[in-house]
Amino acid sequence: MDLAQLLNGLAYGALLMILSSGLAMIYGLRGVMNFAHGALYMLGAYLAYEVTQRTSFWAALVLAPLLLAAVGAALELGVFRRLQHRSHIEVGLVMFGAALIIERTIVLIWGDDTLPVKAPSALDGTANVLGTDYPAYRLLIIGVAAVMAVALVLWLKRSRTGLHIRAASHDTETAKILGIDVDRVSLVVVALGAALAGLAGVLAAPYFSVQPGMGQSILIMVLIVVVAGGVGSIGGAMVAALALGLIQTAGNVWIPSVAVLVPYLVAIAVLLWRPSGLAGKRVA
Amino acid sequence: MTTLLQLKDVRASYDGALVLDGVSLHVDAGETVGLVGRNGAGKTTTLLSIFGVPQVTGEILVEGKALGKRGYEPAARGVSIVPQEKRIFPNLTVTENILLGGASGRRGRWTVETLFELFPNLARGKDRPGDRLSGGEQQMLAIARGLMADPKVLLLDEPTEGLAPVIIDELIDALKVIQDSGTALVLVEQHVRMVQMLASRFVALGKGRVVAEGATADLQSREVQELIAL
Repeated sequence: MDLAQLLNGLAYGALLMILSSGLAMIYGLRGVMNFAHGALYMLGAYLAYEVTQRTSFWAALVLAPLLLAAVGAALELGVFRRLQHRSHIEVGLVMFGAALIIERTIVLIWGDDTLPVKAPSALDGTANVLGTDYPAYRLLIIGVAAVMAVALVLWLKRSRTGLHIRAASHDTETAKILGIDVDRVSLVVVALGAALAGLAGVLAAPYFSVQPGMGQSILIMVLIVVVAGGVGSIGGAMVAALALGLIQTAGNVWIPSVAVLVPYLVAIAVLLWRPSGLAGKRVA
Repeated sequence: MTTLLQLKDVRASYDGALVLDGVSLHVDAGETVGLVGRNGAGKTTTLLSIFGVPQVTGEILVEGKALGKRGYEPAARGVSIVPQEKRIFPNLTVTENILLGGASGRRGRWTVETLFELFPNLARGKDRPGDRLSGGEQQMLAIARGLMADPKVLLLDEPTEGLAPVIIDELIDALKVIQDSGTALVLVEQHVRMVQMLASRFVALGKGRVVAEGATADLQSREVQELIAL
């Protein structure tokens, strides 16, 4: 595997990392898998298309996560909060339905054709990385993911809200009786998780094609990342995302005929070797 | 004397099973009340009902004003709890666990530094994760966390359970300091000696009802002993 292929693995892993961090946070706090997370990512990509057509990619990079944060807040207020005492299966089914509604609405608005989103002109070419010419846009994805990871971990470790999130993710009832407004914390977490899904969607738009099936296909990968990382663990999800990106790329290079199976084999191997995932249920 | 906490005809149930059947009690400013009774009498549920953990009917008042149903409200109104089994967050350090006690935003006399003076063992392990502490240290941490919100009433649910006598003596010393600071205590305890040492008054529960109350000196009387069988 050469440097360019290694960087491809990192870029793909970086996208998975942004997406899975949000999913892991929501699971950690609400205890349910947000099956609409892929649809939120897809919405971010379509918003990137729309905003880029009208203004610029950079505007999309700011606007789409903000709009997705509002969608996340609506999901928290309309679904997660109302159904917090219902079973995980019930909430999971509702979120699955929400995913179908979001995806169908996107197709009704933008159609089912594949849509192009161009990378910003400043990043259209290649950059020299240790003697290898590599697409500059993919370096942006790696850079944004690195900044996001550092910022997220620092926020969780150093801020008052981060402390409340870490506590409530471990034991909601005790967090409440200590005076934490868990519903308010959850609003922040779900809105942030959705914003991160939107950010991943915007970054993915020029990298992959923007098309109706993109949400479902990446959701499977992100679920594997979250389970392999340790359900509810943001740190575990980050490590698992990067590892899966690299392993998937290595599979494409070395065993292309069965590379599609690699993520599933990784998930099975991790669960057999360490059923609680790489990090178990811990936040950051 | 000002009544800080009052429960009026409180009924509490878990999944439809009635655990408290019309409990009424009050706690005045600065006093310590022992809440006693057999296992399953409803002592822990009485404390948790203040935080809305079981389904509750009846009235719960803090300084004469009704408490809402939200579990995070009592801490902000000056009622903190040291729960049974400590409920320390294993993923947080000692300092972070203490800071969490101030989550309601209510602050006062107690700071991390003054709490480390009260419990020097915690100061020595301030960066250790909560699950790397001994049982006694975890209990001290749970009390320190409860004090961080500067409560007017601190509810302690079996604070000596499972602890060695030498650690219990340390805890009693700390609780006396807390009493001297003017904080009212509600002490759920199995040990009569502990209740008599710290409390001036007791309320005895049996099958979810108040079956006796009075001065702690009366705890040794035959009638009370038969009712609560400590």
